[in-house]
Amino acid sequence: MSSQRIGESKWKNAVLGILAWVVSLLVFFPVFWMVLNGFKTELDANTDPKLLFEPTFEQYRTVTTQTEGLLGFQEAFTNSFIAVITSTVLVMLLAIPAAYSLSIRPIAAWRDVLFFFISTKFLPIVAAILPLWIIARDLDLLNTRLVLIILYTAMNLPLAVWMLRSFFNEVPRELVEAAQIDGSSIWGQITSVILPIVAPGIAATALLCVIFAWNEFFLAVQLNPVDGSTVPIWVSSNVSTRGNFLAKLSAASTLATLPVVIAGWVAQKRMIRGLAMGAIK
Amino acid sequence: MTAIDTDKAQALARYQRREAWRRRIPLLPALLFTIVVTQVPFAFSLWFSLTEWTIVPPSPRTFVGVDNYVDLASNEFFREAAWTTVVMTVSSVLLSLLLGTVLALLLDREFFGRGVARTLLITPFLIMPVVAGLVWKTQMFNSSFGVLNWLLVNGGFERVEFVSRFPGISIIVVLVWQWTPFMMLIILAGLQGQDQSVLEAARVDGASNWAIFSQITLPQLRPYLELGTLLGSIYLIQVFDHVVVITGGGPGSTNIPYFVFQRSIGGGWRFGQASAFSIVVVVASIIIATLGIRLLSNLLEGETP
Amino acid sequence: MPKTSTTTKKPWLAILGLLAAFALVAAACGDSDDEETTDDESSESASASETADDSDSGEEEAMEDEDEGEAMEADRSINVAIVGNPTLDDIASLTPELFTAETGIEVNYTVLDEQTLREVTTRDVGAGGDQFDVVQIGMYETPQFGANGWLVGLNDLAANDPDYNIDDLIPAVRGGLSVDGELYASPFYAESSFLMYRADVLEEAGLEMPAAPTWDQVAEIARAVDSDEMAGICLRGKPGWGDLGASFTTVLNTFGGTWWAANDDGSIGAAQVDKPEFAEAFNFYVDLINDAGQDDAANSSFNECLSLYQNGEVAMWYDATVAAGILEADDSPVQGLNDFALAPTNVTDASGWLWAWTLAIPVSTSDQDAAWEFVSWATSQAYIEAAGENLPGGWAAVPPGTRQSTYDNPNYQEAAASFAQKTLDAMQAAPIDNPGTEPRPGLPGVQYVGVPEFQDMGTRCTQELSAAIAGSQSVEDAISACQSIASEFSS
Repeated sequence: MSSQRIGESKWKNAVLGILAWVVSLLVFFPVFWMVLNGFKTELDANTDPKLLFEPTFEQYRTVTTQTEGLLGFQEAFTNSFIAVITSTVLVMLLAIPAAYSLSIRPIAAWRDVLFFFISTKFLPIVAAILPLWIIARDLDLLNTRLVLIILYTAMNLPLAVWMLRSFFNEVPRELVEAAQIDGSSIWGQITSVILPIVAPGIAATALLCVIFAWNEFFLAVQLNPVDGSTVPIWVSSNVSTRGNFLAKLSAASTLATLPVVIAGWVAQKRMIRGLAMGAIK
Repeated sequence: MTAIDTDKAQALARYQRREAWRRRIPLLPALLFTIVVTQVPFAFSLWFSLTEWTIVPPSPRTFVGVDNYVDLASNEFFREAAWTTVVMTVSSVLLSLLLGTVLALLLDREFFGRGVARTLLITPFLIMPVVAGLVWKTQMFNSSFGVLNWLLVNGGFERVEFVSRFPGISIIVVLVWQWTPFMMLIILAGLQGQDQSVLEAARVDGASNWAIFSQITLPQLRPYLELGTLLGSIYLIQVFDHVVVITGGGPGSTNIPYFVFQRSIGGGWRFGQASAFSIVVVVASIIIATLGIRLLSNLLEGETP
Repeated sequence: MPKTSTTTKKPWLAILGLLAAFALVAAACGDSDDEETTDDESSESASASETADDSDSGEEEAMEDEDEGEAMEADRSINVAIVGNPTLDDIASLTPELFTAETGIEVNYTVLDEQTLREVTTRDVGAGGDQFDVVQIGMYETPQFGANGWLVGLNDLAANDPDYNIDDLIPAVRGGLSVDGELYASPFYAESSFLMYRADVLEEAGLEMPAAPTWDQVAEIARAVDSDEMAGICLRGKPGWGDLGASFTTVLNTFGGTWWAANDDGSIGAAQVDKPEFAEAFNFYVDLINDAGQDDAANSSFNECLSLYQNGEVAMWYDATVAAGILEADDSPVQGLNDFALAPTNVTDASGWLWAWTLAIPVSTSDQDAAWEFVSWATSQAYIEAAGENLPGGWAAVPPGTRQSTYDNPNYQEAAASFAQKTLDAMQAAPIDNPGTEPRPGLPGVQYVGVPEFQDMGTRCTQELSAAIAGSQSVEDAISACQSIASEFSS
């Protein structure tokens, strides 16, 4: 942590501190505005911007009220939680041993394999949607949470392998070798020696996976419009083609982003430490 | 050659084979999973790209060889979309890296409420792309009720129809807004991992702040900047939700993912042609990425794991 | 006034409270630089609440299961895909009481935006997804899908259903949804286009609007009433074949232009975008918007114009007839100030469009009888009456344009006095079989060309045209780009 720099006057530090605050507030403003609009009536939201208004919880009531037959708030959140958490756990279970094979005791072609993982991220998902839809249809997977779990796992796995490998490179080889000589299995080495060291990195990776999966819209709406629909679909169902919807949409958006925003806020320190390990030095 | 030597050689070879497999086994589940889930659809796409196939009007799939690829070479709209993709990706990656670095430098010092300021700053990265696009379009850019135009008009300026006048720039603004926090986190990680004693020594020697930054800090940040560039490019080259929500395509904002979408399920229903486009895109991306990764640094080469 | 001061104080307090709450959360999350334990605690509590959420919804599901177990009848259910708009939200709110309770058929709605609905339903019915028992489609798709053999023909089902009354459907609409006399979808609501204007504003300016104006007359009036506070006219400029595409195509038709020539066999001929009539129509459209149109026209469609008109920011508006019901509703700020004229013309006699949102049954449905029961109920005269009595908007808010009986109903005549007859006139005047001066390919259609390729061409061309309306490219560039897009489909 850098402390007061020598030769820097106090007022300069104060000015820079204020500048940092101003920039932070500006960057945050659109989010604040969205939250604010969620407490307006449609009439107040669809006019010149105003800070003065009579706040109402009406929009929150509307978007959380379950209409029979329509995708409800609870159903969407349940589907999202299940798809996101399961896929992230799966990603970790697959990526941790893979990262071991690419870092601690690397296979000969580790560069090619790593590059293969990254290259799968270049196939535009929009282009793959038709084959995916046909395969999902023939396997009876349309409108199931399972199809999203599988695809979100595949979507995040390359990122996780890439990042975890970097973290594993930080583990002192002597420790791993010592554990190996003591006869621990690969899984034993991972759980007893490696994981405690790279825990912040794993947390950072998992959080990124959660963010990307939670926010994913395209696959969900194409494959799961009927059942197993997730939160982004619920949000977009509040967009109306005829009539005003800004306030309602703001309320729904606020609810939809809250879980990931809170998770991100809570874990930010760990993210930074994780990323510090992750850069290729 | 004696029999014993042969035995030894065989035993050694067996051991090496076993060892090689032991090293591979932990990798296999992830590798097989990725191959099955990503390469099977890719193989389908490859096959579709050699056929003429539309759903509306329904027509049987007929094999046409490389016709779709020939058409593609002469398609001016594909070239336009490719150019838009390059502009959008490069400018949003560079801008968010630049702003992320500035913000990280601002935050890398003690001031009142630093934790809160950082918390506010990272929030845009956590927002759903669909929501971010809608909020900016309907509540910031909007020419009648948008905050930006309200500020302009009250400041005595003309209204600006941001999204329709500057579709590409509008999307880039939202992308930079969302990705700057991510870049900032990475750079912040780099700044906090700096060797303080080197910095102290430089200060004692009377080096200027700029000299310290450009000659000590920046080289140390290089791996972090590279990580940011790599991760940012992978995601920003694929930008789709933002385009759909903010402009719905058009000159200056139809990028490759949106173009392919439009040719296929977005109304064109020409799956053969759309598949050919996407195959070309994948191949091109991989070539560019290979070159990029090689050129960018010894990202993988110089490293001994 | 004490009253005002309390109302202005309260919001500030609320905002301050909000800010404080945000700051607290942010502080709790952000200021843990030194205390590692805070991090752990809060993440634990976060995951604890997640599990609580999960178990909650688990119970919910269990309860639903019990419900299903009790009501033996309710094991029939259908999946219905609809577009998100208020009229269709209404149907969702009436379904449990008025449909499920009567028939025991549960209806599971999928609400999507228009674009996504098209993607999902077209692929579903076209490539055999079997996800939906009833899909909402438009008048553009209905005859195409019907001719492709994707939809269940409704004539027999309707004939055997005493509640449906097929002959009550407005003939133009029924015709537009039929192929060779077979009805392929039942209209939920239907519309034409006409010109809505502020009678008070025109009167003050001493101007008079003919009942059947020409575009030149409309343009003249628009330019005359245009001021800094109030634009002369609101026209659609947002990309999309159903947005700018619909409005502009009606103008194009009446200026004697068209998108494509027709070959002798009815297939798509040469693109006609580079013809002088097209340029004349488009220049007229762009000039009118530039001189007397609304701000940010390139981003405006129905919704945006509706807001502007209701806020008193435009004097005239050319759009769908269903807007009249919203403008004249009890909660409308411009109620009673409006008058309506037929869609403006140039060289043709009539130019209004014809559109319907309909409910259709894909042949892949697993329960055709239940699907028909739903379609019949949702588009019947009885539903319209129930809607008039049960909906908060009352009779003015019932789905218009589908049935003659709606227009014969005294309740509706009273609630919709100012626009009911004019809507009906507009629908009957819509030149569905002969929209322009040139023969065109495909099935009938006014504001679109009845070929599948129109959707793709229209979407991409209107993106180019919209950019010209915005001024980010020239009219000439837009037209030449559009000509090459349209030429891709010529044979």
